[in-house]
Amino acid sequence: MEEKVLEILKSVLELDSIERNIASSNCEKWDSMAQLNISVELESEFGVTLEPEDIAALASYEDILKILKEKGVSDL
Amino acid sequence: MSLFVFRNNTVERFFPKDYAFSGYDDISVIPADANGYVWFYQAPVGYNREASVKEIQGYQQKFNFVLAQIDPNKTVIALTMEDTYSVPFTEDDYVVRTAIEQYNAALFEAEKVNANLKVIDYFEFTRNYPVADLFDWKFYFISQMGINPKLTKDFQAWWNRKLESIALKRKKCIVLDLDNTLWGGVLGEDGISGIKIGGDYPGKAFAFFQKSLLQLSKAGVILTVCSKNNEHDVLEAWEKNPFMVLKKEHFAAYRINWTDKATNIKELAEELNIGLDSFVFVDDNPTERELIKQMLPMVSVPEFPAQPYELPVFFKQLVNDYFKVYSITEEDKKKTEQYKANAARAQAQNSFTDFGAFLESLEIQITIEAANEFNIPRIAQMTQKTNQFNLTTKRYTDADVKGFLANGWKIWCISVADRFGDNGITGCIMVNGDTIDTFLLSCRILGKGIEKAFIKKILAMLKESGIKAVKAAYLPTAKNAQVADFYDRCGFPCVAENADGSKEYALDLKSADLEIEKYYHINLK
Repeated sequence: MEEKVLEILKSVLELDSIERNIASSNCEKWDSMAQLNISVELESEFGVTLEPEDIAALASYEDILKILKEKGVSDL
Repeated sequence: MSLFVFRNNTVERFFPKDYAFSGYDDISVIPADANGYVWFYQAPVGYNREASVKEIQGYQQKFNFVLAQIDPNKTVIALTMEDTYSVPFTEDDYVVRTAIEQYNAALFEAEKVNANLKVIDYFEFTRNYPVADLFDWKFYFISQMGINPKLTKDFQAWWNRKLESIALKRKKCIVLDLDNTLWGGVLGEDGISGIKIGGDYPGKAFAFFQKSLLQLSKAGVILTVCSKNNEHDVLEAWEKNPFMVLKKEHFAAYRINWTDKATNIKELAEELNIGLDSFVFVDDNPTERELIKQMLPMVSVPEFPAQPYELPVFFKQLVNDYFKVYSITEEDKKKTEQYKANAARAQAQNSFTDFGAFLESLEIQITIEAANEFNIPRIAQMTQKTNQFNLTTKRYTDADVKGFLANGWKIWCISVADRFGDNGITGCIMVNGDTIDTFLLSCRILGKGIEKAFIKKILAMLKESGIKAVKAAYLPTAKNAQVADFYDRCGFPCVAENADGSKEYALDLKSADLEIEKYYHINLK
């Protein structure tokens, strides 16, 4: 799951490389449009439904892992 | 800047990354440096029906305003509007729908009088999805999205197809198998009256498929046949089976033999003078399809349906994927006739030993016409589609050509007729000042020296207008090697040969040989 999430972030944010500390605060491209795009990709990839509150709270890689785990996405 | 999108909702993720976007329902800025514009307004969301109607009418006015501001030499693509989520409170409440219909009708009306406007039907995309999939309130509320973002990939694929059809990048020719493709059963086993065509199912489905293909050929797609059969049997079936829709005369060429299909298709490409990448191969046999995919990877090979009743869906897909164009020109409609006349010409050529005498016998009529409102669409189309006899391979739209004319370029097109038929407009030349920007001819008219007669005539006309010397260039592509030394052959001195294979020429018109053989009858219009 973690690799998949990193892959999604890398592709949506159009980055050449990605670190696990990535967050909207340290990535210029992580704006509100990117936030939406990340949410849509996560929903499609993991088959979960993210509530608007969840989407608003997605501000870092760590946040994403936390929310996905709450939604019952397990580490395969 | 690539294309600039006017929009009233969040649509960024549906379009390529290099597009730019207006503010929401903001028409105050019309960037002049955009290559083109997109108008994508979605129906307003809300239950106040009257307010929605007013809003839609407002969109229409805004569109007209924007269109009037845009440089008429730049393309504007407008999407129609769809009512994807409105909820009328009574069964007889059509006000919003009527307003949307009027909005769409207004777009199509505007298209008729604005050559740079192309309207595409958004319904063609939306009808593939149930309403619940099209619109997602969650994404509307958090991000003002008028379409469900989950449809992004589908939308992008559809959008690319639309852009391609606007740019006329379509295939030219279908190669059809016969047994279990154009009719049910095997001719060699079931006989002329035993094959399934016409009558009840499945013959009915095959007849429908043949009728569909016939209409496609009338729209300018060239039909050919490649079948493992005895030629004699097939000719007899075409002639004698009363239910046969597609007969010998509908095919520009055919290969009915036991040679492998890759060899046959290569021969068809040579005979018709069409690149292999313009071919689509339709065959029910997966082994044959695989052979072509491996041997001729540039040929498109769609999957074939397992059941005859699936043929209409298959046909629709075929049209969408390979043959859809924005509009059809008169030349397209005559194409099969023209390709067949070429085959007749090739046979006539066999009976002459002196090539000059052959050309004389053809009674070649060349008409040179300056670019005008009527031939500009065809000129633009030729710049998009001509690959082989094309010196610089620059692709232009209608709007580009009009822009060049406005900037003083001299642009002519050529029509060629001979005693076997009229090929219509089949070449053009564009001259910017003293430089030949574009020179191209359709492969259909090659082999008769017309290219030389055409350019000499143009050079003579330029000389008459006071031009002393002209510049020209050859820019190599994967497909235009046959014209690498065209200017050399016409006596242009080469002044530079570059590392990328391109060549530059300069010709002094005073000393140039502009003599044209008398058997080319040239008319100026």
